[in-house]
Amino acid sequence: MSVPTGGSVGLAELADLLSSRSLDDAELALLSDEAPETPVLPDVSVLKIGGQSLMDRGRSAVLPLVEEIVAAKAQHRLLIGTGGGTRARHAYALAAGLGLPTGVLSEIGSAVAGQNATMLGYLLAKHGVPIVEPHAFATLPLQLADSGAAIFPGMPPYGMWQRVPQEGVIPPYRTDAGCYLVAETYACQQIIFVKDEDGLYTANPKNDPSATFIPEITVDELLARELPDLVLERGMLELLRDARHVRSVQVVNGLVPGNLTRALAGEHVGTIISAGGDR
Amino acid sequence: MNRPDHEDRKGRDVESAFVRQTLLDRNLVRSAEPDDVAPIRLLPWLEVVVLGGSTIVDRGRDVLVPLVEELRGLITGGDHRMLLLTGAGVRARHVLGVGLDLGLPAGALAGLAATEAEQNGRLVASLLAAEGVSYLPHQTVAGQLPVHLAAANAAVSNGYPPYGVHEFPTPSAGRLPVHRTDTGALLLADAFGAQRLVYVRDAATLKGLPEEVSAKELLYRDGNLPIDRLALERLGLARHVRSLTLVDGTTRGGLTGGLDGAGVTVTAD
Repeated sequence: MSVPTGGSVGLAELADLLSSRSLDDAELALLSDEAPETPVLPDVSVLKIGGQSLMDRGRSAVLPLVEEIVAAKAQHRLLIGTGGGTRARHAYALAAGLGLPTGVLSEIGSAVAGQNATMLGYLLAKHGVPIVEPHAFATLPLQLADSGAAIFPGMPPYGMWQRVPQEGVIPPYRTDAGCYLVAETYACQQIIFVKDEDGLYTANPKNDPSATFIPEITVDELLARELPDLVLERGMLELLRDARHVRSVQVVNGLVPGNLTRALAGEHVGTIISAGGDR
Repeated sequence: MNRPDHEDRKGRDVESAFVRQTLLDRNLVRSAEPDDVAPIRLLPWLEVVVLGGSTIVDRGRDVLVPLVEELRGLITGGDHRMLLLTGAGVRARHVLGVGLDLGLPAGALAGLAATEAEQNGRLVASLLAAEGVSYLPHQTVAGQLPVHLAAANAAVSNGYPPYGVHEFPTPSAGRLPVHRTDTGALLLADAFGAQRLVYVRDAATLKGLPEEVSAKELLYRDGNLPIDRLALERLGLARHVRSLTLVDGTTRGGLTGGLDGAGVTVTAD
């Protein structure tokens, strides 16, 4: 059968190919691509709060950010994902030294993002902001409608089913990917990665004073530069390149008061990384 | 704010080989990872057996019942400890169609299709309940498979991996979820360091396949693959699982032979 183009794809055509073809079939994939899509939470902004970059710094970094989040939720609906941080690194190092596989590291690392979500949850409790676990995401719309914001642990729920990396055992899809995929699946308005640097540099500015700032870049340009350190997980950048909805992300410095608020309003205050090309 | 991080870090770090790393610099990660530690096989005796959704389970009494009898023999025989994973079949195709037509994203469709694989698992577990076989949800498999396999020689779970909302956007797949049963079983078998990974299919799926073929070779072929593309792509990266076996579960003894090394062997390279 021929694949209709331009027009709307009907259930009958989908059912026809779905019942007769492999799920890897190219024609079926094309048809599923063309079927109209309904964005799930299009007016929501996703924030990712860094573990090592913010939470591990304690009150000096976190409390001003919490104030900014509370003010922002009057105007924006916020889904707030958390990173892991130094305890995740300790657990990964310990587990890797014991010869344990990526799946176990993924399960263990997930708990650290959960702790950070719990702590953020205590701070935001009096503002009515709940924590929503991945298995309870169906309640997100209610939580967002009630309080304007909800917190979730950023690690994706892959656990023992996590993909193994090209080398070593560190889980390749961690909290950057976990938060990003929530934004992408729900077709959210934007995602902002809140870290402790202004954005992307040519090297890690914490160790290399010659590092220079990159305000805007595409994923392909970024990967082609073969920088020693990327500001976001490589796996997450590859997902961004393949995305249907959230085609750019912004990394901002959450230690600078007002940055998050400005980024939420659409201002360019950090590094914008985009998928590049068309989808 | 381009400046070296000289401020006082007291209280912020837990010392470890990865302390203060972003975990994004491959050279730094490589130098901190132990190179003298062989990866452990958590369950070196485990056999992971995947029952195809449409090729086996959907065929009901005619195909599934004889296969369950064969499994019963293997379980009571005591020489095998198996995790049985079930695929989604024709109902998943239906829910994918309705979901796509309603405009749902791949991350929603993944969860809907996974439900069908789960229901197939419950059917198979019910048929083997008298042998101590239980259906285990994902989290129980991840954390408590050893105790279940200490109590019985087999347990059943859902072949779909728990990707759900976190399914990948994949341009070549349109809006269909790509992490399905075949890939889920491979990822899990590899994480456990399983001894063997066997996919039970029907005769038509195996038709024309040689006794041994590489994943690469299969991927170059035109036409339908006997196993999901992504599983073949990921096989080369697996740490422990170096090959997988495809058997015809519609013929008595097909599975037993596969656990013994017969069937179609798909190698990583």
